[in-house]
Amino acid sequence: MTDAKYFTTTKKGEIFELKSELNSDKKEKKREAVKKVIASMTVGKDVSALFPDVVNCMQTDNLELKKLVYLYLMNYAKSQPDMAIMAVNTFVKDCEDPNPLIRALAVRTMGCIRVDKITEYLCEPLRKCLKDEDPYVRKTAAVCVAKLYDINAQLVEDQGFLEQLKELLSDSNPMVVANAVAALSEINESSPSGVPLVEMNAPTINKLLTALNECTEWGQVFILDSLSNYNPKDEREAQSICERITPRLAHANAAVVLSAVKVLMKYMEMISDTEFVSVLTRKLAPPLVTLLSSEPEVQYVALRNINLIVQKRPDILKHEMKVFFVKYNDPIYVKLEKLDIMIRLASQANIAQVLSELKEYATEVDVDFVRKAVRAIGRCAIKVEQSAERCVATLLDLIQTKVNYVVQEAIVVIKDIFRKYPNKYESIISTLCENLDTLDEPEARASMIWIIGEYAERIDNADELLESFLEGFADENSQVQLQLLTAIVKLFLKRPADTQELVQQVLSLATQDSDNPDLRDRGYIYWRLLSTDPAAAKEVVLAEKPLISEETDLLEPTLLDELICHIASLASVYHKPPSAFVEGRSGLRKILPASTRLDMKKMEGSGDAQPAVIPSQDSLIIGDLLSMDINPPQVMQQSAPAASYSGPDLLGGGLDALLDVGAPSAPSAPLGPPSIPSNPATGGLLGDIFGLSSSPSTYTSPKTLWLPAVKGKGLEISGTFSRRNGQIYMDMTFTNKAMQPMSGFAIQFNKNSFGLIPGQPLQVPTPLTPNQPCDVSLPMNTTGPVQKMEPLNNLQVAVKNNVDVLYFACLIPMNVLFAEDGQMDKRVFLQTWKDIPTQNEVQYSINNVSANSDAVVQKMQQNNVFTIAKRNVEGQDMLYQSLKLTNNVWVLAEVKIPPSSNNCTVSLSIKSIAVDVAGGVYAAYEGILRS
Amino acid sequence: MGGIMSFLKNLMGGREMRILILGLDGAGKTTILYRLQVGEVVTTIPTIGFNVEQVTYKNLTFQVWDLGGQTSIRPYWRCYYANTDAIIYVVDSADRERLSISKTELVTMLQEDELRNAILVVLANKQDMEGAMSVSEIHTALGLDNLRTRTFQIFKTSALKGEGLDQAMQFLSDALTNRK
Repeated sequence: MTDAKYFTTTKKGEIFELKSELNSDKKEKKREAVKKVIASMTVGKDVSALFPDVVNCMQTDNLELKKLVYLYLMNYAKSQPDMAIMAVNTFVKDCEDPNPLIRALAVRTMGCIRVDKITEYLCEPLRKCLKDEDPYVRKTAAVCVAKLYDINAQLVEDQGFLEQLKELLSDSNPMVVANAVAALSEINESSPSGVPLVEMNAPTINKLLTALNECTEWGQVFILDSLSNYNPKDEREAQSICERITPRLAHANAAVVLSAVKVLMKYMEMISDTEFVSVLTRKLAPPLVTLLSSEPEVQYVALRNINLIVQKRPDILKHEMKVFFVKYNDPIYVKLEKLDIMIRLASQANIAQVLSELKEYATEVDVDFVRKAVRAIGRCAIKVEQSAERCVATLLDLIQTKVNYVVQEAIVVIKDIFRKYPNKYESIISTLCENLDTLDEPEARASMIWIIGEYAERIDNADELLESFLEGFADENSQVQLQLLTAIVKLFLKRPADTQELVQQVLSLATQDSDNPDLRDRGYIYWRLLSTDPAAAKEVVLAEKPLISEETDLLEPTLLDELICHIASLASVYHKPPSAFVEGRSGLRKILPASTRLDMKKMEGSGDAQPAVIPSQDSLIIGDLLSMDINPPQVMQQSAPAASYSGPDLLGGGLDALLDVGAPSAPSAPLGPPSIPSNPATGGLLGDIFGLSSSPSTYTSPKTLWLPAVKGKGLEISGTFSRRNGQIYMDMTFTNKAMQPMSGFAIQFNKNSFGLIPGQPLQVPTPLTPNQPCDVSLPMNTTGPVQKMEPLNNLQVAVKNNVDVLYFACLIPMNVLFAEDGQMDKRVFLQTWKDIPTQNEVQYSINNVSANSDAVVQKMQQNNVFTIAKRNVEGQDMLYQSLKLTNNVWVLAEVKIPPSSNNCTVSLSIKSIAVDVAGGVYAAYEGILRS
Repeated sequence: MGGIMSFLKNLMGGREMRILILGLDGAGKTTILYRLQVGEVVTTIPTIGFNVEQVTYKNLTFQVWDLGGQTSIRPYWRCYYANTDAIIYVVDSADRERLSISKTELVTMLQEDELRNAILVVLANKQDMEGAMSVSEIHTALGLDNLRTRTFQIFKTSALKGEGLDQAMQFLSDALTNRK
């Protein structure tokens, strides 16, 4: 025998054998053959070559055989797209089979065959199945529409399947409803524009709610998820939906529970009835607690979701601290998550319990967990002031254990405690210093050095300690190096006499022996400060710093709100928006409905204040720092608007405050505007909110004489400014008082505070004949060069004609600079009001105003001054208003209107970071209110 | 006697005859198939793919495959040629324009090696329609004169009225029985 036998592959033989068996006319043999084919397919052998033969077995009355063939089709239709057409007729026939199981099987398989060429043939059978008498078939067909949409969206829309699907929402069978909802949600989410293709309305929602009680658990999840995407039209509707889904909280399936929680969390935002909300809040706790008794994986998912819920509404679980106590056999991921929630829930009421737990945890074996537990103790101290002392004591106890990583973590958190409660616990410094040698982690070393530097005056041997660190300066982590530099400079400023050598040493190390830019820069800054003006250096380096706040690890509020909308999904586990990890998701970001809770009463109370993060807390100190600097650079006015649009409110405010205080006299430094969503799809909505439509009757002051004929060589110009449809105009009347006609007109502005420039060349009909008044309207842009004028609204104008160049100056009424998008979000308003220091508040009173508060609101609104809130205090109406100047400076105002509406005196108090604008704004208010 | 013979044959596991119904789209293949199977006219839609049915005629069982006639499907006819005993080729007698296409398809098909021994029955269908060509016209147009070795016959039929099908089936069953 030759060796040829090794080259005859058995595979070919196998396929060949199967082929002939498939074509056998014995049914038994055929069925066996198909089974063999499927078996090969499932173990990964390529049996696609048998496609035509398998398809030929498709028309059989044997259900088992049919299922197998369908299975084969789903797998291989894609690899044989042309041949797949041969299966179409069988699908068509099967969709009319008397057996509903076969009809459903056919329609399901059709959906799974992702071959573009044959989809059009499948529309007719699908249409029939959507109207099938059997619910199982209808349900399967509904899902098939979503699958088809994924292959060919246009086809689905053209064929009217979306409408049919929507009809299925009112199907008599709950299973059909649930699947139709699921299909629609999927279609809406994959819609390329991000705009839902099918909107829910109140009657459909009602049907969904009815179906909710009757369908399977997963059906309930689909329905609840789609409810969470619905925006109830008013509070009553939201309440009634909440009532109807509350029973779902008792469901055994965790997915149902979480989805129900999601809907409730979202709708609660809309409900202002505090009684109702507190009842709901009470109902939410038990199901969440129950989730924590499931298996660890479910627990973890629940905990991640609870983490969001606790940040949004701490009330829900405030009495449930105990369930978050760590069990010894919890997996580490559950332990860490629980710890996180424990800290969030820690309050004066439960701190004792929490501390004793945390202390317990700090002695466990798992290093990561222990570290986190130690940190948690520190965070408790910062969060609950009353507990700080106990926390410090606990930390000291832990340091006594001398367990290396415990000591290091403890020192890191003690540094934070010092930053929160300065000058309170310095007695423990000596204990800390004892452990100096054991610190080997950069963060701990840096913390210790910071402590020594900060309290150098109380540590007798501070210089020795720091010197000991300095020996290995080059080998230290940059974090430690930076800290060491700062600490030694602090030490020097506090004890200049005996530390001069030390400071020189560190400065030279930092500036000459290091190539770390941060270190070098900081080194040079200190060096120059110290050499120019040690007194100033002292003020800078040893200035009192703002206290740190507790919740720096809170999620940014807009992200939190978005994640609340994604509870019970992967996004809520990752704590990332879906767009961050789902490819190709450009859909609309989900947002919580605008909260109704925050009214003006809370504006004054500090109970509900946003947690302050360092930058926004007290900009004055930073201001002091920067104000030593030279003149306010003008460039800032250009760059500031760009910066002010970025990122979250808190940061925005902080950043702007920082920019602004450096230029206290600059008129145009903006305040943090309301965070403007970057998504263009919401533009229309924003437009509505901000009232971008033109205001019909903007206040325009009467024309005044700007250039008398005597000065203008015969040309007389009077004029005023107006704002029409968001465009600033300079309305002028030119009169030729000379004997000769004039021509060749042109206009130019000097640099001015608001960057005004002519939007187009001056168009005066020429020749301008004598004694012929001529009205000209010149549109203006605010994109020109900026230079601060005195007064702020001064505008210097040059007009040229064939006679000469004529100069005059005029005042721009501030109201033409009020931008259309000057409406501030309530929350931002509140925050901004607080953030602007009181010395930036200017009080005015306006006499002889004949208007009630509603008329004032109306009048001001027409001039782009937006009333954010209104309340009544002792008969006086208080209006809180915001406006934005064209250069993005925000101005906030409080208007007090006495009850009598005739000739009363209105008090106005204006707050803005750029306080210079107040006068102009006051004048504008006066003009508008008197008009 | 023939009846007993076929009865015995069936009893001893004689295989069912495999018959293909081919022809251009709209010729009436599916109607003929169901006329043969259930004896009624059923409403049909264009066959994208195939139909396969068991047809019993005078104690003979046929497995009849009706393949779609669309241009896109014709290339796949070849997948069904193996082990075919007979071909029923259906022509729309009223469709003069596409008769030449029909001829080309027929000629191409008959050249296939796998169909060397297959019996051919040509049905000049839709004889009930006005302007339908006669049998001899179609005979000539399809070039059936050139067929030398093939057992074949042409019939005029109307699937709607049920005319001519019986004769065709009679011929077919006789021819198939005799061939054995």
